[in-house]
Amino acid sequence: MTRTLLAPFTALGRGVRVFTLAIGRWGGLVIDAARALRWVEIWAPLTLRQMTRIGVDSVPIALFIAAFTGIVLALQASYTFTGAIPLYFVGVLVGKTMMLELGPVLTGLALSGRVGANISAEIGTMRVTEQIDALETMAYPPVAYLVVPRVIAGTIMFPLVTALAIAMGIVAGWFTAIQLLELSTPEFIRGLTLFFVPFDVAYAMIKATSFGFVVTTIGCHFGFGTRGGAEGVGRSTTGAVVASSMVILVLDAFWAVLLL
Amino acid sequence: MNEKRDAMVGVVIVAALVVIVVGTMWLEGTSFAGETTDVHAVFSEVGQITAGNPVKFRGVRVGSVRRVEVLPDGSLVRVTFRVQEDLRIPPDAVVVLSPESFFGDWQAEIHSRARFPHAQFADAREPGDLPGYALPDIAQLTATADRISDNIGTLSDRIGIAFSEETAMNIASMIDNMEEVTERLSELVTQQAVSFTDVTDDVRRATQGIGDAALEAQVVLARLNSVMGQAATGEALSDFAALAENLRQLSEDLQGTNTTVQAMAMQVDSTFAALDRVAVQATEGEGSLGRLLSDPTMAAGMEGTLAELQVLLQDIRENPRRYLRLSIF
Repeated sequence: MTRTLLAPFTALGRGVRVFTLAIGRWGGLVIDAARALRWVEIWAPLTLRQMTRIGVDSVPIALFIAAFTGIVLALQASYTFTGAIPLYFVGVLVGKTMMLELGPVLTGLALSGRVGANISAEIGTMRVTEQIDALETMAYPPVAYLVVPRVIAGTIMFPLVTALAIAMGIVAGWFTAIQLLELSTPEFIRGLTLFFVPFDVAYAMIKATSFGFVVTTIGCHFGFGTRGGAEGVGRSTTGAVVASSMVILVLDAFWAVLLL
Repeated sequence: MNEKRDAMVGVVIVAALVVIVVGTMWLEGTSFAGETTDVHAVFSEVGQITAGNPVKFRGVRVGSVRRVEVLPDGSLVRVTFRVQEDLRIPPDAVVVLSPESFFGDWQAEIHSRARFPHAQFADAREPGDLPGYALPDIAQLTATADRISDNIGTLSDRIGIAFSEETAMNIASMIDNMEEVTERLSELVTQQAVSFTDVTDDVRRATQGIGDAALEAQVVLARLNSVMGQAATGEALSDFAALAENLRQLSEDLQGTNTTVQAMAMQVDSTFAALDRVAVQATEGEGSLGRLLSDPTMAAGMEGTLAELQVLLQDIRENPRRYLRLSIF
């Protein structure tokens, strides 16, 4: 009877404890990665490869998502802007939305699925197959070897991929506007430049950089914490994607409150 | 393999940096072609102008706003514009900031000062600075309209308070009364219309009669005129003179008669004055008549005497021989 009454409180307390423990472990991993930066000879050669895998290989999917996002934005904007609102505001909406919100967030979410899951699965498999233990046995710092190159590559490449995605989204919106919406190129550009401020680009880059950092560190965190064989790898992968996606959305709101 | 991978990474990095840098500059309005120069203007306030807003001259975009900064003493705002170097700015040029549309986008326009004679431009502090003026924002205009609507709302509330149910009933009653009065007036007008028609007919007839009389008078005057020109007229005038003389004589006679009547009136007046004195004395009890009127004893004596006279007369009628002796011989 008493156990039944206490069950909700027990669940809440356990959840808080697990969450706090995960935050602590993630923080510990980040601190270890910062300390491992001194092993330049270890992480530097691996970083370029990770930049290829995290950045270059992610460009197609990022551009694909951004292109269709731009098309839909232009169409929805023209559908919404009726009556007194001039149609060149399609350019305003496409530009502002792609730069401030959809470009960074959709790219971050897409890459959290692709990159975060990849990192978590790769490191998790190494964990369950005791390859990380072997690295430690050989006095090879696993954080410098596995975490630092991925975090650096993700932090650098996420904003670059996001910039290309934003450009693709705007181009797709422009193409849609002139082909389907009876909007001329000068009108679209007028709307695009109407309320543009350089801070919009800086804001997008800040968000994308933070998304790259959290996606790679969370992937590494779940990978390092993998237990229980293949099933554990799958669980870690799923956890990494879910956690990365949630943190991206939380960070999105955080930066909006902080910077806008 | 490594070279290809390195190249791909490099391409992505360069492409992304080009997109970021060039895209930002392009969207900011940076001109990539042609020489540019900076123009400065000062304003007391700048509305919603921001860096990147267009600069127009005669409606043509010639540059963009580069920087907006408050002067160190805080009195004015200095705005820097980047315009085409070959742009020939008129000597009395001013810069006017205004909303480009209803949606919050602003622009700077270079104009001649004569076009805005009533605008209060900020005085330039440094040589080369153009005077500037910011037109009211749509938001300011709407705020003013909002205040007006608030006032109207307050007025409506007050009218609502004053216009109670009782007031409404009174007004309704007044309207009913007015309706009734209007109906009565309408009936009156309908009735009077007939009379008015009659009067109009009378007036018309009278006018016609006056017209006829005027014609007749005209004929008479014409005849008189012709008569005046004949010889008999002189004789008639002589008769009129004799008649006037007779009338004058009669007037003198009447005047003499009047004198006689006046003397008679004076005699009558003195007679009435004497009678008045007698009446006064009688009223005051003076004289025999006054005493008779005022003294009751005397009146009673008079009554007694009269009674005895009646008895005596009765007796004389019945026995005349006792008092009268007739002897003829």
